[in-house]
Amino acid sequence: MNGGLDLEQRYRRVLRLLPGWYRERWEEDMVAAFLDSWHTGDPEDDEWALEFCKPTWPEVADVAVLAVRLHLGGPGTPRRYAWGQAIRRAVLAVLLLHAVLGLNVLVRITWSRRLFGLPAPPAILATATPGGVWDTVFYVVNFAWVVIFVALVLGHYRTARVLAALAIVPDLVALLQAEFTRIMPVPFGPWAWWILFNLVLVLAMTTFHSGAPRAARWPWLLALPAGYLLVIVPLLTLQATGNSAWVPDLAGQCCLLVAVACLAHVPRAWSRHAAGSGVWSLTLTLLATLAGAYRIATLTSYLYDPHLVNVSLAELLILLVAIALVAPDAARAQAGTPARPPHPHATAA
Amino acid sequence: MASKPMTGQAFFVLTALAGGPRHGYGIVGEVAELSQGRILLKIGSLYGVLDRLAAEGLIEPDREEAHDGRLRRYYRLTRDGQRALAEEAELHAAAARAVRAGLGQTGPAAAGAAG
Repeated sequence: MNGGLDLEQRYRRVLRLLPGWYRERWEEDMVAAFLDSWHTGDPEDDEWALEFCKPTWPEVADVAVLAVRLHLGGPGTPRRYAWGQAIRRAVLAVLLLHAVLGLNVLVRITWSRRLFGLPAPPAILATATPGGVWDTVFYVVNFAWVVIFVALVLGHYRTARVLAALAIVPDLVALLQAEFTRIMPVPFGPWAWWILFNLVLVLAMTTFHSGAPRAARWPWLLALPAGYLLVIVPLLTLQATGNSAWVPDLAGQCCLLVAVACLAHVPRAWSRHAAGSGVWSLTLTLLATLAGAYRIATLTSYLYDPHLVNVSLAELLILLVAIALVAPDAARAQAGTPARPPHPHATAA
Repeated sequence: MASKPMTGQAFFVLTALAGGPRHGYGIVGEVAELSQGRILLKIGSLYGVLDRLAAEGLIEPDREEAHDGRLRRYYRLTRDGQRALAEEAELHAAAARAVRAGLGQTGPAAAGAAG
């Protein structure tokens, strides 16, 4: 008559609607609370209810609603947590790129003006001193990215968001001006850069809300000088030694940097014991998408030279292979669980 | 910096834990009493709220006790939970004062007299 199931078993069957990670954490608690809710205090009534009753439809619907929210990745779920963290880290990485480029402009101006007793730079690295309002604005914007990056890392989210929103305006004005005056040198590259690395960046910065976990300060702050030394200095050296032909364009540099980061991350992504690797894999996937989209958009600038097109396609291929190595870990990140407070030891009464 | 708005259910669950640690069904009963029967939490909803509050660090497990052959897990407020609840209560109090001022009343007695 009751199908061989008692109330507890029936409720557990309803709970199967919930994701596995959630049941692992909460099922016993839910069952205990649910059975408590059926206690009347009369042993006979309780026994009858436990044997013959079923969870009510509102109770089943309530679990179903929770299941839908959890499967779709609502607030507080691992999927939402993983995406939020990955987007915030990708934002920091793109801001780091802007900041390193800004630092490069600052260093080259300082060097070109021979401040602090520096010797004259090689002619190929010399940078003109800003002349005119627009030049000054663009130099200020370059330096502003350093400030924006540091502000975000230090937790001044609103300041960073406002400054970033202002910093992308001069480029937009310049692009529109170039469009209207038809002096745009290449069709899509500058627009792709502005949309992918400026507009999308500013929009994604909204994920730094008051409840967002703080970024690890020192690793990110140290990444700025490290990025300059490890990326910009070798590129400047190549240029100064007459090997500019070996320097990839900005899109190529983005592809290769993300590919190298993926390869460096592979041991963690493939390790079953590395906690939290999935969020980094997801971050790298997002960065690879940005870099890949930028590479594809800028391909049109090289259609006149099959060699450059082949180089660009090779960079894209390297990026794809590298991201394929961490993509499975990124997919798993959505099913993983964020850190939780530990459960206490039982103190049976 | 403004904190995230708290749902009514989360507010009542935290309020239920303000008086001390409680287990799942204990919270359901306390919330029903505090809300004068307006919020009757189903078990699914309760654990959806508890999961979010635990993830935000506002509550934490306190202890487990055996009852009728199964373990009941008790939860308590964390310091952040106490702070968040105090802030939310202050917001509610400020809103209540604004409502009373808007209605030209100064307190519950005045509301009663007006009625």
